This record gives sequence, C-alpha cells and structure tokens, in this order.
Amino acid sequence: MSEPTPESSPRQLATDARDRVRFEEEALELSDQVYQVARRLTGSREEAEDLVQETYARAFRAWRSFTPGTNLRAWLFRILTNLNIDRGRRIQRSPDMQPLEENDYFLYNRLEESAGDANVDERRVVERLSQNDTVVALADLPHDFRDVVLLVDLADFTYSDAAQILDIPIGTVMSRLHRGRRMLKRALAESAAGETGES
Amino acid sequence: MLGFVFDPCEKCEKMMQPYLDRVLTEEERREAEGHLEGCAYCRKRYRFEEEFRKFVRLATAEPMPPELKAKLAALRTPL
Repeated sequence: MSEPTPESSPRQLATDARDRVRFEEEALELSDQVYQVARRLTGSREEAEDLVQETYARAFRAWRSFTPGTNLRAWLFRILTNLNIDRGRRIQRSPDMQPLEENDYFLYNRLEESAGDANVDERRVVERLSQNDTVVALADLPHDFRDVVLLVDLADFTYSDAAQILDIPIGTVMSRLHRGRRMLKRALAESAAGETGES
Repeated sequence: MLGFVFDPCEKCEKMMQPYLDRVLTEEERREAEGHLEGCAYCRKRYRFEEEFRKFVRLATAEPMPPELKAKLAALRTPL
C-alpha cells in the first residue's frame, strides 16, 4: 500500500483510513495471544506489558508494510520476537549442544517410577507436576529453545510459521523444538523428584 | 540374529513428537498407529504426552491485564 500524498483524492483517503481501521481492529483482536507469549518471554508482568505496547505501537506505525491477506498473527509475532531481542534480553552462553540422555518417554517414566505403580492412570500422572515449577522450567530454557517452544506449543504456530517469525531454517525450528521440550521435561522430572524427597 | 536389535517401542518413542505435531507422512502415521494399537506401554506414554502438552499450556497461561487492552486501544491512530 502506498502512502497517501496531499494530492490524494478524498476517495483514496477514505479507503486508506478504512483499511487502517480494519488492520488495527484485527491486530487488537490478537492481543491476548500476543500477551501470553510476551509474558513468558519476560520476567515480569510489567515487562510483558511494555513489550506488548511496543509491539502494537510499532505494528500500528508500520501497518502499510503488512500485506493484506497474509498471516497477520505471524507478522505481529515477528515484531514481538524482534523487539524482545532488541530490548537486550540477557546475554547467555551458547546453548549446550551435548546430546541429551533423556528421550521423549523420560518424564513419564520418572513420574510413574515415583508413583511406584505401573498401573497408574496416565491422565492423572500429569497432576503430579506443579504449575509453578513449569513456569520456572520454561523461563529457564535457553532463549533460542524457549522461543520455538513458545511459538509452537503455546501459540500454536506451525513449524514453517515459527521459522519465518524467527528467521531461521525449518530444520533448526524442529531441532530446537525437540530439544527444548526434552530440556523442559528433564527440569520437571528433577523438580518432581526433589519434591518427593528423591535425589 | 545378527546382534541387531530392532526395538519397535524405541522407534515409536521417536515418532511421538512428530506424530502429535501431525507432521508424519501418511505411511509413518499408519506405522505409529499400528504399533500403538497393540502396545499399551507406548499408548500410555502418548496419552500422557497429550495431557502434558495441555498442562503446560494451562500452567503457563496468565490472563492479560484488562487495563493493557485499553492502553493498546489508545495507541490506535486517531481518525
């Protein structure tokens, strides 16, 4: 969309205003989802609120660069994740790329073991996990892994959308996602074991 | 035997994430489902994984502060 000039006709100006209003309304409808991810990217509610406000301020300024008919949600999340990087999130050591011993059944196996009952109802096993431990374990994931887990598991983006949002190859999305999920499970298995007095 | 042990549960474990993410090929999906049908061990773990994903989503959800909605609306371009 081109910027209207002072010579634009009243009709062009009206169309422009209507498109902008629609864009802003559609973007605002997604604000709950943007907040959910922002809250998990940041350490506090206040920081999350600031990040969401910056995201919307930038989105509203840059609305002309959005192509109508493309994925507005992905476009907004791209602004969000870029701003999160810009705001100088904690510099961290490069992620540990040692192979993880734990596989995908690991958390269940540990929880079943600590229940001491192989016939336990698998739908009840999850109740052994604590909400707070989960929030902490997610926050503690190395950021590159956490970003992918948040976009796919919390915000329901496809691998391909997550790749576009983060500007990384799809193979990297998959490997970070699988590893991030395993790291999360390992942390939760450790905290669940700690709570039942095991080492 | 050639000393090579093929463990179908190990393979099923590897297919769990892509299965639940719905990115397996049709053939792989059928293979996973065929195994799951006859294997209570893997079936339990797949069901747990589904519950676990729901749990993580709920555990980490936090309602958006209502005043933030108003602040965002105030950022809109005045007409």
